[in-house]
Amino acid sequence: MGRLLALGILGTLACASIASAQTGSITGTITTAAKGAAPLRITIDQKICGNELPDEAIVVDAQGRLANAVVILTGVKRPSTAETLVMNEKCRFAPRVQLARPNATVRTTSKDAVLHTTQAQLANGRTIFNVALPVPGINITKPIGGAGMVRLTCNTHPWMRGWVIVTDEAAAISGADGKFSIDNVPPGTYELRAWHEGLKGAPQKITVAAGKSTEISFALK
Amino acid sequence: MNVLLLALTLSAQPQLTTIPEMWDAWCARCHAQDGSGKLDEPTVTVEPMDFTDCKITSPEPDADWERAIAKGGPGVGLSPQMPAFEDSLTAAQIAGFVSHMRGFCKETGWPSGNTNFPRPLVTEKAFPENEFLILPAISHEREVTLTALYERRLGKRSMVEIGIPFHNDGVRDVEIAFKHAVHSNEVRIVSLGLETVVSRDTAVFEPFISAGAMLGDWYLQGQVKVELPVDRKKADRAFVYNAYLGRDTSQAPNTWTLGVELNGENHEISLTPQVRKGLTGTGALAASIGAMVPLNEREERGVRWVGYLLWEFLEPLRARR
Repeated sequence: MGRLLALGILGTLACASIASAQTGSITGTITTAAKGAAPLRITIDQKICGNELPDEAIVVDAQGRLANAVVILTGVKRPSTAETLVMNEKCRFAPRVQLARPNATVRTTSKDAVLHTTQAQLANGRTIFNVALPVPGINITKPIGGAGMVRLTCNTHPWMRGWVIVTDEAAAISGADGKFSIDNVPPGTYELRAWHEGLKGAPQKITVAAGKSTEISFALK
Repeated sequence: MNVLLLALTLSAQPQLTTIPEMWDAWCARCHAQDGSGKLDEPTVTVEPMDFTDCKITSPEPDADWERAIAKGGPGVGLSPQMPAFEDSLTAAQIAGFVSHMRGFCKETGWPSGNTNFPRPLVTEKAFPENEFLILPAISHEREVTLTALYERRLGKRSMVEIGIPFHNDGVRDVEIAFKHAVHSNEVRIVSLGLETVVSRDTAVFEPFISAGAMLGDWYLQGQVKVELPVDRKKADRAFVYNAYLGRDTSQAPNTWTLGVELNGENHEISLTPQVRKGLTGTGALAASIGAMVPLNEREERGVRWVGYLLWEFLEPLRARR
């Protein structure tokens, strides 16, 4: 029995190793010359929201490295139906930008003792859902629909913004250091495009080789 | 209910136990504490309805308002900026909010919207309306009549109506009517009215009584009238009676309503199965069609097709985003 288990573990490790040897990865950094805006002054619900909140429309560090940008690799599908959690916390959507797969579900909930609503809208203005979270701890699950950039707003706190990028392609979100990575990419040449809620950049071609990491950078304007 | 109780327990805010407290904490964020929807700093881009205006607060049934709270604005064809509360409130709480909202109308005497039943094809509805209608009718001899009807509410309980029927050979007469709701509660309404049909030959006075009631999920409506011509050589007296029984297939304002009427004029009796459908999410446009099937003297009278296209002209046709 013990031998069988050991063989199984070895086999699994071997398969994983072969898989990573047969695929490559993409790593990169997203930068911008744009500057972040001054903090927002809050005039309602200060007990919950505070008197000031960071304006997260552009989150950039001193070196110009941009957070909350999404890179999408065209042609590499990532089927998954994992649920995306939208957390309302201190009158912000946390995190601000998330990924979801088409036809997956989004669960929205709140930690704030104040009425929040989560309104999910497509770029054409069509509302996918708008649900109320009058008290903390309620969990509401809704289907997010097909591919697209879904904007989240709160009707009672107009500054709140969130984004759910719905795609079945391999994608990643840049962190606070502007870095991102996409693993398990089959060798080949692809188009990599970058999306940001307020900045733009041209798509780039990228060639991925087996067992290697390919570096790429985006400068968004 | 469990969800809400759990959430209330977890909440750091003072517990909200009454509907007025919940209104002030939640609904007032957009609808204002006084229900007027007027705020110094509006939270939504669409101006909310003014619930202090009884013309807005009174004429629709509870089910429509409950649906608006449960499903959000899109549930009743209105703005998606009104969120859905069905996952966070109980049905009893939603009903409580509807009652609270109706309380912003401080005037008494407005008939309850719960007695605003779907309009039958023939039976005169008891509830006073603001509507414009086109009513086509085709007899078994292919004679087509198209009646244009304008109904305007007067004050809290009255309504005037002007109708012009267009026949194959033109306009023969004009109908003018007045009705007043003399009794109403949450499930019943009774109106008295007088219709006058004026033609080149004579005028016919038609006093009537209309009534409607809910029987469970069923709408029961009825009307009795007498037709009294000024010149009895030009027109006959008649006794007219109509009864309607129908029900909705769902709670949505644009749902299908199935019904049947028994229509009688003196000894002539007909049965009129009919179907009605709201054409917009708000239900402001609706159409109905039915067939008046004679139950006696069938060969002489034949089947008459009747219908209407209705526009509640004070209601929004579609939502603003």
